[in-house]
Amino acid sequence: MASRVLLKKPFDLGKLVLRNQSTMSAFEIQHKTPLIKKVEAIPVAMYGGRHHVTMLPGGGIGPELMGYVKEVFKYAGAPVDFEVVDIGDENSDLDYALTSIKRNGVAIKGNIETKSESASVVSRNVAIRNELDLYVNILHCKSYPGVPARQKDIDIVIIRQNTEGEYAMLEHESVDGVVESMKVVTESNSDRVARFAFEYAKKNGRKRVTTIHKANIMKLSDGLFLETSRRVAKDYPEIEHNDMIIDNCCMQLVSKPHQFDVMIMTNLYGSIVSNVVCGLIGGAGLLSGKNYGDHYAIFEPGTRNTGTAIAGKNIANPIAMLSASVDMLNHLGHVQHAELIQRAIEKTICEDKIHTPDLGGSARSTDVVQRIIDHILQADIRPW
Amino acid sequence: MSLLARNFSKILVQATQTAGVRSLHSSLPSLNETGISERPDTRITCTLIPGDGVGPELVYSVQEVFKAASIPVDFESYFFSEVNPTLSAPLDDVAKSISKNRVCLKGILATPDYSHTGELQTLNMKLRNSLDLYANVVHVKSLPGVKRRHEDIDCVIIREQTEGEYSALEHESVKGVVECLKIVTAKKSQRIAKFAFDYATKNNRKKVTAVHKANIMKLGDGLFLRSCEEMAKLYPKIEFERMIVDNCTMQMVSKPQQFDVMVTPNLYGNIVDNLASGLVGGAGVVAGASYSANCVVFEPGARHTYSEAVGKNVANPTAMLLCSAKLLRHVNLPQYGDMIRNAIEQVLKDGKIRTKDIGGQNSTQEFTYAVINNLKMPSRV
Amino acid sequence: MAARILKNITSASTRTVGSRFYSGEIKKCTIIPGDGIGPEISAAVQKIFAAANVPIEWESVDVTPVKGPDGKFGIPQAAIDSVNRNKIGLKGPLMTPVGKGHRSLNLALRKEFNLYANVRPCRSLEGYKTLYDHVDVVTIRENTEGEYSGIEHEIVDGVVQSIKLITEDASRRVAEFAFQYTKDNGRHKVTAVHKANIMRMSDGLFLRCCREMAEKYPDVKFEEKYLDTVCLNMVQDPTQYDVLVMPNLYGDILSDMCAGLVGGLGLTPSGNIGLNGALFESVHGTAPDIAGKDLANPTALLLSAVMMLRYMNLNQYASKIENACFETIKEAKYLTGDLGGKAKCSEFTNEICEKIAASS
Repeated sequence: MASRVLLKKPFDLGKLVLRNQSTMSAFEIQHKTPLIKKVEAIPVAMYGGRHHVTMLPGGGIGPELMGYVKEVFKYAGAPVDFEVVDIGDENSDLDYALTSIKRNGVAIKGNIETKSESASVVSRNVAIRNELDLYVNILHCKSYPGVPARQKDIDIVIIRQNTEGEYAMLEHESVDGVVESMKVVTESNSDRVARFAFEYAKKNGRKRVTTIHKANIMKLSDGLFLETSRRVAKDYPEIEHNDMIIDNCCMQLVSKPHQFDVMIMTNLYGSIVSNVVCGLIGGAGLLSGKNYGDHYAIFEPGTRNTGTAIAGKNIANPIAMLSASVDMLNHLGHVQHAELIQRAIEKTICEDKIHTPDLGGSARSTDVVQRIIDHILQADIRPW
Repeated sequence: MSLLARNFSKILVQATQTAGVRSLHSSLPSLNETGISERPDTRITCTLIPGDGVGPELVYSVQEVFKAASIPVDFESYFFSEVNPTLSAPLDDVAKSISKNRVCLKGILATPDYSHTGELQTLNMKLRNSLDLYANVVHVKSLPGVKRRHEDIDCVIIREQTEGEYSALEHESVKGVVECLKIVTAKKSQRIAKFAFDYATKNNRKKVTAVHKANIMKLGDGLFLRSCEEMAKLYPKIEFERMIVDNCTMQMVSKPQQFDVMVTPNLYGNIVDNLASGLVGGAGVVAGASYSANCVVFEPGARHTYSEAVGKNVANPTAMLLCSAKLLRHVNLPQYGDMIRNAIEQVLKDGKIRTKDIGGQNSTQEFTYAVINNLKMPSRV
Repeated sequence: MAARILKNITSASTRTVGSRFYSGEIKKCTIIPGDGIGPEISAAVQKIFAAANVPIEWESVDVTPVKGPDGKFGIPQAAIDSVNRNKIGLKGPLMTPVGKGHRSLNLALRKEFNLYANVRPCRSLEGYKTLYDHVDVVTIRENTEGEYSGIEHEIVDGVVQSIKLITEDASRRVAEFAFQYTKDNGRHKVTAVHKANIMRMSDGLFLRCCREMAEKYPDVKFEEKYLDTVCLNMVQDPTQYDVLVMPNLYGDILSDMCAGLVGGLGLTPSGNIGLNGALFESVHGTAPDIAGKDLANPTALLLSAVMMLRYMNLNQYASKIENACFETIKEAKYLTGDLGGKAKCSEFTNEICEKIAASS
């Protein structure tokens, strides 16, 4: 199947980059496309202070949430124009989405469903991350006062390796009844993530970086990850570095989460830890995640659920997607607009306590958005 | 583009299904029903350069309209001129103001053939270079009521305007032999090509035409053309075609409807801009804009100072008013922008008030008042 | 007329040109039929000339590139000799050879005969309706330097510099030709098209040469216009221009644009005036898709030939053929496909021949 698909004409601009990855087998993804890809720099899509941004609404509640983002942006006057790309079942849709992100450099996305259970179909989300080499995922977990939660005042940054590890998707049945799944850790990627984490800590005035691992069992793979982060830590003497084993980490998180500051980890652990922390501070609907590569950035809700079950019911929590859009504005340098929306969100959640059912409230999604818009209109800062 | 449409309709369908979304609009205060939700004290500052020739009159007309519609825009006016260097504000001040406000409305600056100081760069070029206003966009569209030979023209000309022939690198190598350098760089060519394709994507355009003369200037224009070709590959949904500039001008006068978005190097852009403007009614009715990454300068599309009409109150303010409508759209006040645009189209369609250049007898002032009288708050959708 | 100018200009050159123009004498003309539809339309022109008894003997040459002694491909020496001998030539469309390594033939010919000025009269034809009426513009274009100097190089990776060269000699030469042409053809105004507000030195030099020349021709009106202004005004009201003189690139663009005003390159003649001779040509493409099908329109080449006759002082014949041609188009009984008719090239040609026969 892979060979059939490869016959399709690839784009030319940097052949390596644009190989038709989504249609390749897992093996080919891992071995035929080097993880560090050669990317030809494309000029940023920013004209006259306005940015072009790719918007991938995805499935489930994605489209409604994107609708809210647009609505809020309209009232906040955010200088961003969206290029909406709908990803259907066709692989060409995915290619187009990737091309669009490459052109614009920045995207905001919902979760994209991968409908097929077949082993040959790569998850759309993973394909996007791998193809764009978005090697790091950041989840800033900060409690909203006013949201009922088990733990108060949590402020943890989870930085997760996003392209390899257990998600390398190299699985095969070697003998009948025996499946092997490969976990890949490379030094170069571990180094990039660690460096990113320390730079992030330095830039944002954070004190400590914790590496989460399971090197007592997986001595070589997680060992490499741990070693690399220790080595990088030496370059940042002003930042404290320690490490913790994943199982212990989960326990500590639910009992004493305030000891954590910045955490770095491999792919699977990241998935676990971020969901744990989200649960601690009030659920999937509040947090936003950022994916960075060397050239591109994608913003999305922090926990990756499509929420198909609640789609169209007007009860989905719009905060996560709106926070993602705030992150995006910050990334694009529209700090004022970001602050404007951020403040409106905080007021709505913390002061007015307009909460959707997932936070124990009874408000509809549109009520939340409406209140945010009202706050924006009443704000004293009004950039265009 | 069908994608876009599909998605919008998807959202719309969902919106109607979930009745709640409607409340997004209906529960807003009545002010919002027009879609205009600005508070009176939130104002936008815009740099204003009246320019030479009839510029000041046209700009005055814009200000009148803005005042009448109570549009929340303040102008920061600078006298900026090359023909009158003693009175002109320093370039630095103007550039600073524009980069601060990020928008500017500008008349046309006259460029004398010889500068007093022997300077090769014109003031216009200096301003463009200092702000890196690299992309000039002129949207040429047939206006209702303006009778011309060609109908239904709707093309966008995107011109790179920081390099090429306008490099101002000239020297007299031997007596009687002048060399003028034309510079083409891959970086800027790619940048303008991408701009054109992004513009086409954003505005649901179908085709981008690269105008060149690479058959003669194989290296220079060749580089430009190659950059466009490469960029085109990133936009599989937009058709790309190439056209040699002389053929392009010929096609333009015989079959202008075939063009959609055109991307050109500096000089060819100037030619095609003016040509296309001529097709739809002249310099008085075509608006343009120059983009850098951070700011936009809105100015008439065909740059003529029309200095012979200074003070006669006969210039056509349409181009300048359309510029201001574009400006409003850019700064997130699209309702006002549409309001002005609709008013202009209404006046032109009625055809009672016409300035001299489109076959009427009315003055600039009369036209401006006619536009003001036709201003209508946009009705609720 | 035009010959006189030529004489002026070539006074430095050793051979005198006057002797070729005693009327009544049979003159030799080189004809280069060209590629694609070239041979058919050349045959049509020759047939019409024969019908009008024009005292011309054609010398047909082939310019298919041959490998020269230096190993490069170029025009055959026989062709060069022929034009050099006859000093005058008529050329059909040539295919620009694809591939690098050798210069385009057009350029080679231009270089060989020092064709410094390109003249293209664009006139609205009655009977073929376009959006513009009463267009009557002559574009005169400097043809040897400017942007087409061919000097280009890549300074660093991704930065190309190409040089536009303007010399006083060439500018003055073309300016003088423009004024002389205007005077000789009973026209009134010369407009210098330039962009000296941007290219202050190079276009400035060109402009200065035009101004100087204008002083020598006080009876010809002279004006200067920016290139963009001309473009703008040309499509609004082409009647305000008469003779336009300009550097190479602008001329290239404007001449095609003017052709567009009157209905395309299939109707516009073109002449190249040089130090070593003059070459008249049709500038349209070779149209390989209709070649050999007897569908081509010979008007451009015929009008070029008419220009040639005027250049050779054979004005009577020129007018006769020109009138017959215009008449045929005006009557619109026999129009070729490109003009919206259904006639074949041969029918169109025959009609013109009959008109000529009827008039004499």
